[in-house]
Amino acid sequence: MKYMSSAGDYRVEQPGRLIVRAARISHGLRWPFIGALSATVTATLVRLLGPLVVRGGIDEGITLGDKSAILAAAGIYVGLLVVQYFATALSQWSVSYVGERYLVQLRSRVFSRMLRLDMGFFSRSKSGVLVSRMTADIESLQEFASDGAVMALSNLLTVVGVAVAMGLVDLTMALAVFGIVTVLLVVSVIFQRQARKAYDRVREQIGRVLATLQEGITGVRVVQAFTQEGSQASTFGRINEQHFDANMAAARAISWYFPVVAFLRVVAVVSALAIGTSRVIDGTMTIGTLVAFLLYLDWFFQPIINLSNVYNLLQSALAALAKLFGLMDEKVEVDERPGAYDLAEPVRGEVGFTSVEFSYDSDVAVLHDIDIAVAQGERVAIVGETGSGKSTLAKLAMRFYDPSSGRVTIDGVDLKDLTHRSRLEAMALIPQDGFLFSGTLRENLAYAKPGASDDELWEVLSVMGIAQWVRSLPDQLDTEVRERGSRFSAGERQLVALARAFLADPSIIVLDEATSNLDPETEEKVETALATLLAGRTSIVIAHRLRSAERADRVILIDSGAIEADGTHDELIAGSRRYAELVEVWQRGLA
Amino acid sequence: MATIITIPYMVGIVIDRAVDPSNPSIVWTVLGGMVLAGSIQAVGISLRRYFGFKLSYRAEADVRNRIFAHIQRMAFSFHDVTSTGELMARASSDLSQLRLILAMLPITLANIVMFLVVSLVLVVIDPVLGLVASLMVPALLFASARFANRVVGYSFDLQQRLSELSHVVEETVSGIEVVKSYGQEAQQQGKLDHKAEIIYDSAMGMAKERAIHRPLFEIIPALGTVAVLAVGGIRVVDGAVTIGEFVAFTQYLAVMVLPLMITGWFFANLPRSAAAASRIDRLLETAPEIRDPRRPVDLKPGPGEIKMENVSFTYPDGTEVLNGVSLTIPGGTSVGIVGGTGAGKSTLAHLIPRFYDVSDGAILIDGVDVRDVRLDQLRSEVSVVFQETFLFSSTIADNIRVGDPMASDEQVRAAARLARAHDFICAMPEGYDTVVGERGATLSGGQRQRVSLARGVVRDPRVLVLDDATSSVDAVVEAEIQEALRQVMSGRTTVIVAHRTSTLAIVDNVAFIEGGELVAFGPHESLLRDVPRYGEVLAATEEGAGL
Ligand SMILES: Nc1ncnc2c1ncn2[C@@H]1O[C@H](COP(=O)(O)OP(=O)(O)OP(=O)(O)O)[C@@H](O)[C@H]1O
Ligand SMILES: Nc1ncnc2c1ncn2[C@@H]1O[C@H](COP(=O)(O)OP(=O)(O)OP(=O)(O)O)[C@@H](O)[C@H]1O
Ligand SMILES: [Mg+2]
Repeated sequence: MKYMSSAGDYRVEQPGRLIVRAARISHGLRWPFIGALSATVTATLVRLLGPLVVRGGIDEGITLGDKSAILAAAGIYVGLLVVQYFATALSQWSVSYVGERYLVQLRSRVFSRMLRLDMGFFSRSKSGVLVSRMTADIESLQEFASDGAVMALSNLLTVVGVAVAMGLVDLTMALAVFGIVTVLLVVSVIFQRQARKAYDRVREQIGRVLATLQEGITGVRVVQAFTQEGSQASTFGRINEQHFDANMAAARAISWYFPVVAFLRVVAVVSALAIGTSRVIDGTMTIGTLVAFLLYLDWFFQPIINLSNVYNLLQSALAALAKLFGLMDEKVEVDERPGAYDLAEPVRGEVGFTSVEFSYDSDVAVLHDIDIAVAQGERVAIVGETGSGKSTLAKLAMRFYDPSSGRVTIDGVDLKDLTHRSRLEAMALIPQDGFLFSGTLRENLAYAKPGASDDELWEVLSVMGIAQWVRSLPDQLDTEVRERGSRFSAGERQLVALARAFLADPSIIVLDEATSNLDPETEEKVETALATLLAGRTSIVIAHRLRSAERADRVILIDSGAIEADGTHDELIAGSRRYAELVEVWQRGLA
Repeated sequence: MATIITIPYMVGIVIDRAVDPSNPSIVWTVLGGMVLAGSIQAVGISLRRYFGFKLSYRAEADVRNRIFAHIQRMAFSFHDVTSTGELMARASSDLSQLRLILAMLPITLANIVMFLVVSLVLVVIDPVLGLVASLMVPALLFASARFANRVVGYSFDLQQRLSELSHVVEETVSGIEVVKSYGQEAQQQGKLDHKAEIIYDSAMGMAKERAIHRPLFEIIPALGTVAVLAVGGIRVVDGAVTIGEFVAFTQYLAVMVLPLMITGWFFANLPRSAAAASRIDRLLETAPEIRDPRRPVDLKPGPGEIKMENVSFTYPDGTEVLNGVSLTIPGGTSVGIVGGTGAGKSTLAHLIPRFYDVSDGAILIDGVDVRDVRLDQLRSEVSVVFQETFLFSSTIADNIRVGDPMASDEQVRAAARLARAHDFICAMPEGYDTVVGERGATLSGGQRQRVSLARGVVRDPRVLVLDDATSSVDAVVEAEIQEALRQVMSGRTTVIVAHRTSTLAIVDNVAFIEGGELVAFGPHESLLRDVPRYGEVLAATEEGAGL
């Protein structure tokens, strides 16, 4: 399959590859990273010294009854704590700095990569999924960056450090504790497996909950119109319940793990005490050593619990990275090739299709044997049945897709040889659904020409005959158009989309049923405006109305993806039976 | 909980035996006791956690269901001004915030009791050392509350900014055709980078607070240990406490750290959760503007006469659309609604099934004010095909069945045939089971519109409202649909918003709206003849019609 996704090449099972690649993307973060690393190591080492100081205080001071030794030990400890505070604070801050900076870079990279992808990619992806790449997935990296990274590093160092320190303090007792820790590790691994599965399910379910929620909100008008509120709510309730079940599965895993850990901790303390007291009685161990050992014990268990949490964070972070890289590896089907060049100025605006074939999925050809030559300044109407491939033709002219075979050209140059910039400056498409962005009317009008002055806007509006209307709006150009422009009527949205296109001032303009919701009178005005604003430009107009066909220099009739007839209106009436039939239907409608 | 308190104490006893081994056998008893206490503690934690989770997840799921059901019932006017993102936030981040607090509540209560008991035990063992060690409780509580409190602001901002960023991505993806048509990738990228940068600012603000406070969570207990070492050590030397009691103190400090942090976190999060709760509450408390009448009148079977009496309508933001429209559509007849762009045709159509309530005047169906009828009854009698097509991302059959969930396969097919959708649906690899992309993205514009039309006619309503429902289909198909509509229209009242004369030719009457008023009402031909403006709006002037 041509459009098969290449995502998923990266598996979480290859964490090494993922991390190396993740590191390669960053720039300017090496030294901050090294700084963060050293601060973390320092903080951990200093922390490890604490119990040794306590041991000194007990053995030199308390046992011997030397108060000044006790105070000296306390003093040293306070000194260490001051160092520890600053080292820890620095490590926290610098790790976050590195992580957050990195995420800014990553977000930008992923998004710019996504923007380069072709329309095929967008039409087969769910917007919710793409949004969650940029949000949920990057947030799980963010969580790891702000919480996990420091925790991982310092806890790992702590565990290793404590193990070494314990071994140095008393090997036999350390070995007994290590035995218990081995049990803890096994238990943790089992928990980990279970928890990861549970959390994966939770994530999957929350995704479904949110997607259903979103569709329930965007489609609410249809739901109400057909009184489906109840059935929608029960569908949602079912999905929500599955999310609850997933949460409970995770809760069950957590509910046995942490108590077991707490119990093992008690067992460790008990064994340390059992061995320790008898050795203190023997005289082979000081009471200070035993206390130090007990203090170390605490620093053994908490970090291991923390590490198992961190491991969770790390897993989701790696999974997120894998998905992000999957997106970044998505093949750009429609890309600017190396050595692409600009159109020679001035752009004439000739459009050509030569033996073009195209299919969305490899099995069904939507267009075949398309040969069209549109001359400079010519106005061509494309007519044909719904679903015959007219919009697809327009999309190929815009190079939203590349043809499976054949060539699409501007001024004789294959679109594939042109720079994106040059192509886009030359052409504008007004798509069937003129999407408006939430924001003000001004922002939407000036979308294709950021920074256009109000005078320019008003000029286009008045040529189109809608300046009066805009003036009647409560906030004029500053009117909020709301999500998808829902503040306006359908026709008004089309007018805004048209004005937006005229402002872009392209050499070639493609109108895909851009006036379908307008009343005929307004449509006339717009067509007149089009003639004024685009005098001498090439235009391709897809329309279902006779008048558009009549007004065009030439009409192309598409039928099931092939050109059925091509010529002036009058030629076609005479030469094409199908066209003549179509005109008859139109005229019947007008009578 | 009691077990948490006893274990450090037992540690103390064991140590004392070690120092003074006069009665060694008790050591083993105590150690055994510790293991027993440990197991009881484990079971306790386990149950507490499990039920804490269960309670809070249950509450979360229930409230989420309520929010969803509520959103589904809110009127169009509410949805016109409330963004999708805002509603999503209520049912996701606000709700999780609430759940966390709920889950922590029993644990926090238990912890508070524990601190009190531990402090008491410590003071009883040795008042001086007890006071010194207990100082850690307020210090750590204060530090963690202060931390959480400072972070709340940032994390609120962060949440806000993240949702703004997700809005940018969402719009870019939904509007990708426009973005690509104008090559405005850089503009979208700029918007995103800006959001990412301010997210960075919030995150770093948080990081700063974390850097300042987090280390305190280690340092304060360590300072407690130092204090116990200094004060306790001296008291051991003075013989006021035993070495075992001294060690017990250090152990108490160790077990209290985590509960203290959690408790501090809990209190600092309270205001934030309260805010989330009040936002959710406000949403749930906002009654739908359009709701069932207190004493509903049954809409008895009838011909479907629609009567508008002096209807005026103004949108909540002050846009006046209709002004004193009065008209009667006799039952079983069809009426075309004609008017310029933005004249208020859709608005008028939306008033019939009460998507909005009239600002003034009344609309009656078969003599009953629509405001006196139960909503589900009213809307099951009035079927609307919207001007803007919205399809759910499920199969074509499911999309048609939204119109009538009980419809048999045969009825679904019949509706599709009527909307001239059957042929193209059958040509698709999976026929009626083809899943259409989001909002129907993998269908052509005309195909989408025909599915939506099929959805509107699959049921058997008394009143059928078609709002420009064939704007994207070609003339041939449109003519076929009109032919089919003739059958559908018989025996029911049909309201058709249309611009094309071909459609207007098949309706009994036309209502012509301009300037918010009903300018003319009557058959198409007579309006063409008598009302010059009508002909102009349809551009059906002599030269036009002649072609
Ligand atoms: N993204 C897509 N993926 C797969 N198939 C598609 C996609 N977009 C369109 N199609 C299919 O390709 C065919 C041609 O669609 P196209 O949108 O070009 O038709 P059209 O002639 O513009 O129709 P209309 O007049 O209804 O707009 C249709 O059968 C449609 O279902
Ligand atoms: N939710 C809204 N809030 C405020 N004003 C609105 C809202 N929806 C529509 N309007 C305004 O009300 C007027 C009537 O809108 P309506 O959608 O009824 O027009 P219409 O006659 O159906 O136009 P069209 O032919 O373009 O579909 C328009 O000027 C529009 O800008
Ligand atoms: Mg409308």
